Amino acid sequence: MIGAATFHAAMAGIVVGTLVLATLCAIGCTVASLFPGMAGRLATKHMMETMDKAALVGASLGLAFLPIAILSGSFAADNVVTNALLYNKFVYSGLALGFWAAYVIGRVRFGPDVWQVRPLSALQGVTAVMAFLMTTMASSIGGKLVRDESLFDLLPIWLPSDSATVLNPMISAVLMLIGIAALVVVFRLGPKVERISLD
Amino acid sequence: MMRSRAAVLAIIALLLATSASVANPGGEGDADRDFTCGGSCHGDPALSAPSDGTVSVSVDSLVFSGTATAVHVTASGMSLSGNRLLGVFLLGSSNGNGDHPEDYGWAILQDPNGGSHNYVEVIVPPSGSVTLTWVMLAPEQTGLQNLFVEIHHGVNPNSNKWAYSALTRGYTVDVQPVPDNLPGFAFDWTPKMRVTGVDSPTEIRTRNATSVTVQWMLEGEWLPHDAEVSGAGDVWEAMLPATIGDTRMQYQVTTSNGEFSIVQPWLTVGTEPPPFDGGIWDARLQSFAFAFLVLSFLVSLQTRFSPWEGRPEIDHTEEVEAADAPPPPPGLEPQPADDYWARLVPSEENPGWLWDPVEEEWIADPNNPPGGDE
Repeated sequence: MIGAATFHAAMAGIVVGTLVLATLCAIGCTVASLFPGMAGRLATKHMMETMDKAALVGASLGLAFLPIAILSGSFAADNVVTNALLYNKFVYSGLALGFWAAYVIGRVRFGPDVWQVRPLSALQGVTAVMAFLMTTMASSIGGKLVRDESLFDLLPIWLPSDSATVLNPMISAVLMLIGIAALVVVFRLGPKVERISLD
Repeated sequence: MMRSRAAVLAIIALLLATSASVANPGGEGDADRDFTCGGSCHGDPALSAPSDGTVSVSVDSLVFSGTATAVHVTASGMSLSGNRLLGVFLLGSSNGNGDHPEDYGWAILQDPNGGSHNYVEVIVPPSGSVTLTWVMLAPEQTGLQNLFVEIHHGVNPNSNKWAYSALTRGYTVDVQPVPDNLPGFAFDWTPKMRVTGVDSPTEIRTRNATSVTVQWMLEGEWLPHDAEVSGAGDVWEAMLPATIGDTRMQYQVTTSNGEFSIVQPWLTVGTEPPPFDGGIWDARLQSFAFAFLVLSFLVSLQTRFSPWEGRPEIDHTEEVEAADAPPPPPGLEPQPADDYWARLVPSEENPGWLWDPVEEEWIADPNNPPGGDE
């Protein structure tokens, strides 16, 4: 048996590692599709296909391990939230989950040619960057909690985390229902979306 | 080649960045610890070095058993790490185990940070000197006791990743039997932490005391203020102002019973942040709510940006290509079909033929082919 904290550290390592790969490749695809003149070798068909697949695999793997990391982190904290940092770790983890799920869903819905439609390419790139920002914030808070040190200490940015906005559970539940309802509307009642094919 | 070198350099830079980090640079927090954390990594000679700081200890050489006494520790002149963190141990021995003063009968009434630990961490002010005070109850057992102080800190830069430490000599305290009826703190009393901003009464429990007076002052003040005290018997309540932010307040209790009047050591009002009002399920629910909100918003945007069926003007490829294509050379511009037939001139001399003045050639008239009448 290993401790929950050790298991959480291993899961967090997998999540961050795979999502770093996914983010870099997604940014590469976006840059290559939006600025082919500046992208150089990134804009070649072979490179685009490779980056697209790596981004999809990385994001999918990270998305699969993210709930495990969240759950193991919760157990490592004895399922008790004692401060704002820990609370925000949950919130940022949820945001990361939402962003990465949106990235994977977008890529699966529209297929590998999603990068050929400029607005969608930009949206996928921004989604990946925001998702990674949320992921790194969640993991950096872990470093702050355990070692009082984070890689974000070296960077000029640090998202709010020392104080938390605790929503009433009822408000959270309503917001979640709104999100689920919006998803149902988009998928069931919205316009039919097909995989993009330029052939 | 240049890109490969740049990539290699970037990887090396990242590796060096990780080696610049040392173990627990943010400290371990206040705790009850043995000498050098019980022989952990800081005790390893290969991972530590002597401190360049000076440590002095001030403690009464004669105390009565069970009475409160203050141990003042001053550390100065240390080279420090970037966060100026200093760890200070108050020990009963330096064996590596069983070194806590409580192992020798002492009871820590209050540590310098308001808690009751023998190891505390403090940020050293820019002056480079810091004085810490432990208030302890002397052991019940009389006799000679030793007290040691050890400090731990880092340096900046710390290329060897060493911990720097210093251990004082043992300071001997002679514990004498307490005179009968000497008023003091109750043996099992320790000051309670107070929430920042709250001015709830501070409870003080005593023994052999018939009256109690309390004075308080903020850190840096010279003149103490009298506090209102109520109570009787062995339980008293002192009204001390609320503390806000980093303000530290000290208070001093005088216990009297007509026969003796004992001025106790200064204590610090220990403050703690208000308890966090969020629960684990609040966090989980809020987390999933935000996840679904973000997901639904982004999926909606994807749908809006996608070339969905029925959306007008979805394909602008031809326009974009036409706009980006270079202009054809002069004279080779493509002519619209209508212009081509319009420029042809019929000829009465050659019925059935049209004259192209641009290409200067005869073209068969599709509406009146040559020899059509024959």
